[in-house]
Amino acid sequence: MQIKINNIAPIFLEKEKIQRSQIWNQPIVFNKTEHIQLVAPSGSGKTSFIHFLYGMRKDFTGTIEIAGMPLKNISPENLSGLRSKNISIVFQDLRLFSEHTAFENIDVKRKLNPFYKEERIKEIATLLGIETKLNQAAKHCSYGEQQRIAIIRALQQPFDFIVLDEPFSHLDENNSKKAMLLIVEEAEKRNAGIILADLATVPFFNAHKNYQL
Amino acid sequence: MALSFKSIASFIATNQNKSTRWFSYLGLGIGVLLLLCSIQLFININALMKERNPKKANYDFISITKRITNENMGQDHSFSIADIEELKSQKFITDVTPLIANKFIVSATGGTTLPFTTDIFLEAIDNDFIDTIPASFTWKEGDNIVPIIVSSDYLELYNTVFAPSRGLPQISENTVGALMVQIECTGIYGTKIFRGNIVALSDRINSVLVPKKFLEWANRNIANMPSGNASRVYIKTTDANNVDFLNYLQSKNYQVNKDKTRFGRVKQVLQAIVSGLGVFAILVILLAMMLFSFYLQLMIARSKDNLQLLLTLGYSPGWLSKTVAKKWIPVYIIIILVAVILTVFFQYFFQQSFLSGRDDLSPIIHWSVLVVAAGLILLCIGINYRLIKRLLFKL
Repeated sequence: MQIKINNIAPIFLEKEKIQRSQIWNQPIVFNKTEHIQLVAPSGSGKTSFIHFLYGMRKDFTGTIEIAGMPLKNISPENLSGLRSKNISIVFQDLRLFSEHTAFENIDVKRKLNPFYKEERIKEIATLLGIETKLNQAAKHCSYGEQQRIAIIRALQQPFDFIVLDEPFSHLDENNSKKAMLLIVEEAEKRNAGIILADLATVPFFNAHKNYQL
Repeated sequence: MALSFKSIASFIATNQNKSTRWFSYLGLGIGVLLLLCSIQLFININALMKERNPKKANYDFISITKRITNENMGQDHSFSIADIEELKSQKFITDVTPLIANKFIVSATGGTTLPFTTDIFLEAIDNDFIDTIPASFTWKEGDNIVPIIVSSDYLELYNTVFAPSRGLPQISENTVGALMVQIECTGIYGTKIFRGNIVALSDRINSVLVPKKFLEWANRNIANMPSGNASRVYIKTTDANNVDFLNYLQSKNYQVNKDKTRFGRVKQVLQAIVSGLGVFAILVILLAMMLFSFYLQLMIARSKDNLQLLLTLGYSPGWLSKTVAKKWIPVYIIIILVAVILTVFFQYFFQQSFLSGRDDLSPIIHWSVLVVAAGLILLCIGINYRLIKRLLFKL
């Protein structure tokens, strides 16, 4: 599966920023199994780009095709199919059900299209050091814990690409490395690609392609 | 575990606003019960009214006239050809025929056996409409004897009122045929005398009938007038108590024998009451559905963030709509089934308490009530699904 990006640019972004970018207004193809790193300072449209890829926003010029489907015209049903089978995501703002427990937050994604059995949640949580938080409401977890809950949630489904928007912003280096290793392992299991966007280069992410946004 | 409502139940605030939900259930139940009962009552009224109205040879024959009021006195009240054609075109009327009347003066004398003279009238109608028609009821030009069919009511009145007061002999139905009366017809062409012979008595037509051929000849040759439009027409119908038939006659302001259509008029009133009840029931159902839709809108508004996140995570809006809507299918089925059971009970109770021992009303509800109940279940499920889908796709 490929993601074909053809000369996209946010309609709200300044021309100068678009001209400087290696992504905006460029023809780009992301292939499955590739590790892609996007580095961008704040305000350059990084989160917008992730939202464009995930079909959450359409305020851009140009086209994005995922598995041959143009995202601008995709039906709600096909989009939900892509999200449950082909593309997984860790949002910068995490997007957890704050009143629900860590386990419920993860399991609701697993049940949608299970890649693992329920027991695997506890194994991964142990690996990332939040096994004791599984029965705690998400709103009572620290940002770092919430970030790990969001990462574990993203790993519960099959995918061809996993898209990460500043996934380690609230984690210390040790936990970030553990999480990165886990994500790479899980992507390899699925023969999938990784698209990681961050403010600066993530040193422990072995990217095949680097882009400056 | 297969994906089901249970998987997402905790993310949707279904337990909010319980009172609204229970009121809408109660409203729906009452509305459906009223509707089913009114349909069953409608059917009961039809069944009971039909049985009490025995028909002659499967048809009712009714005479109608145009209503004479203070406002239209003196105007022409005869039926035109167009009026008769319009009557014929109505689906509840099998046939229509005018009653032709004499246009000259007629008097009858009983001779020595019945020494009295009286002015009378003559009418003629198509033979098809006469209930008792002997072979001798024919006339051709030159015949001096005119066969007559008289209403049996007239014979009764003669025997019980007229004959005793005048000292005349009473006449039995069997001997009436042996009598000959002298009929004197006077018009502008002079007077002609015929011998009248009562050949039959009619239970159906309240008149003095002569063969149509005779009356047409006499109007032309004694009064020099065509028979013209009739003031009275006879209608042949399969059911004189048919509500559509009575409504039509009322709309045309035609006057009809009230006794013959008495059950029809009672039926008309009862059906109007029951129809009103049915309309009220439909309104109650609509109100209940609206109340339930408010509950759904509130539920979805309160769960909006969670539902949006479920959609973002990859839950399909179609699946969510179906799954959330499915949760209420058993509720609708239970509410409507309870209403059906109560209708069955009421029908049985009604039949046993008021009409026990009579077989003109079944103690079992009519199949159409079940069809309506099944239709209501499908309608509720359909409306509910569409509403939820619309609300979810808006997110």
